[in-house]
Amino acid sequence: MHCRQLAKRLSSHHDVTVLTTCARDYVTWQNAFPAGESVEDGVRVHRFPVAHSRNLKAFADLSDEVFDDAGAAPEREQEWFRANGPDAPALLEHLRVRGALYDLILFWAFRYAPSYFGLPLVADRAILVPTAEDDPAIHLGVLPDYFARAAGYLFLTPEEETLVSTRAGRPLRPARVIGIGLEPERDLHPSREVLDRLGLPPQFVLYLGRVDRNKGCATLLEYFQEYIAEGGRTTLVLAGPSTLEIPAHPNIRALGYVADEVRHALFAHAAALIVPSPYESLSIVLLEAWNHGTPALVNADCKVLQGQVRRANGGLYYRSSREFQETLSWLLAHETERRALGAHGLAYVDREYRWPRMLARVEELLEEVSRRRSTAPA
Amino acid sequence: MAATDQVMSEIQGRVRERVRAELVRHGASSALEDPALFADIDALLRAAIERSQPSALLLPELLGDPSTWRLDTAITYRSHRGAAAAPIVFVKQRVLMPLLRWLYEFSRDNFERQRRINQVLFACVQELAIETARLRRELQLSGRPVDRS
Repeated sequence: MHCRQLAKRLSSHHDVTVLTTCARDYVTWQNAFPAGESVEDGVRVHRFPVAHSRNLKAFADLSDEVFDDAGAAPEREQEWFRANGPDAPALLEHLRVRGALYDLILFWAFRYAPSYFGLPLVADRAILVPTAEDDPAIHLGVLPDYFARAAGYLFLTPEEETLVSTRAGRPLRPARVIGIGLEPERDLHPSREVLDRLGLPPQFVLYLGRVDRNKGCATLLEYFQEYIAEGGRTTLVLAGPSTLEIPAHPNIRALGYVADEVRHALFAHAAALIVPSPYESLSIVLLEAWNHGTPALVNADCKVLQGQVRRANGGLYYRSSREFQETLSWLLAHETERRALGAHGLAYVDREYRWPRMLARVEELLEEVSRRRSTAPA
Repeated sequence: MAATDQVMSEIQGRVRERVRAELVRHGASSALEDPALFADIDALLRAAIERSQPSALLLPELLGDPSTWRLDTAITYRSHRGAAAAPIVFVKQRVLMPLLRWLYEFSRDNFERQRRINQVLFACVQELAIETARLRRELQLSGRPVDRS
């Protein structure tokens, strides 16, 4: 979504073409859109077919193999990128044959096959937006060479820049930390009516997103039940599709997927947003909560989340069940201070994450890379 | 005015004190009765955990052949039976593995946890070795004898 919005906004000043696949589902990569050129939201889009869907079991086994401490041969790691997909040979062929016709090419998310195999084909004009997290994939042995090849870099957070530069073995330049662009919320104080209809109590803390083990939700549920067992008195509202079995507990409410109106009200009326994920390259949901003036409680094991909360002064963080209990108790017991943390978060979003500021950073980088290219010896 | 670092410092201090009191109550070393010393120990171990990524550890280098100590969590499908290898590997991969996948994934998750603990313990030993080496050096520089027995 972020990539789509950036392409749309850049298209008002630049001749933008989006090169992508025919897939809609990022798990299977099954072709869903017709191949060829179209115009979407005023942007030219060229879609290429995916050669085959992702074999999830084979991919899981290959992941085990290449993420093992012993390491794997470079060919097996490259095979991992191919298996991760989407495998779109026509897209790569397009870059090989027609890549030189583009002034600059932005590659979104290093872990997907079009970025991993496509960037080296047009490295002299490639700008990498790695969207890297400190997960096992970042430690693959083939990545230091790959990361060093781009002509420019756009990072989402300072922590991501440090992570990728460390893996590359040197500072990556030219680069900008751009974050994302957010519109100000039109209504910071929406009615509670939709929440009342759902029977939500006056005070609750919110988790919003996929309820999944990989997002830290199993640990969140465990910590929250320990918090309640120790005498805590609030309700945890989970809003999002679940892959976990959610315990039947009077203080836990699972809403499943929610409409935008409910989502907006949840953000605005939650005492705090909880982000338990150990791996994030940015966490858009955290910025959305701050955009509503709501403070956050985040997993300190994720350097990006802890860094964001400390830079914004927009919440607290925890590393253990005891810290979770203490931080949550503090937030719920100190209403004035809690609101102040939320206000700091909103001020941080106003300062760093509005579209004009974000686009200015992107434009600066595009200009710098273009300038370097035009002055580089032929 | 609430500030994240200030509030976190207070909360972490309170949590540390709770943990210290519980450890002492359950019979931990009397050295932990000193809150300041406990804070130093806590900081040292936290620093070790922060630096526990495999590429920053010395002990794996000193342990020698990785096949003698490293946890192997990935399954590789092999057979030593010459011409019969291909069908055996096929049966392992396509018949046995789907049946046993739940058991494999359960074991693998536990091995992953054990590997993480090993890394943290390596990092703690490394941090303690660094502290010991520094203290020895300081003692030597101060002219006091160092017992290396």
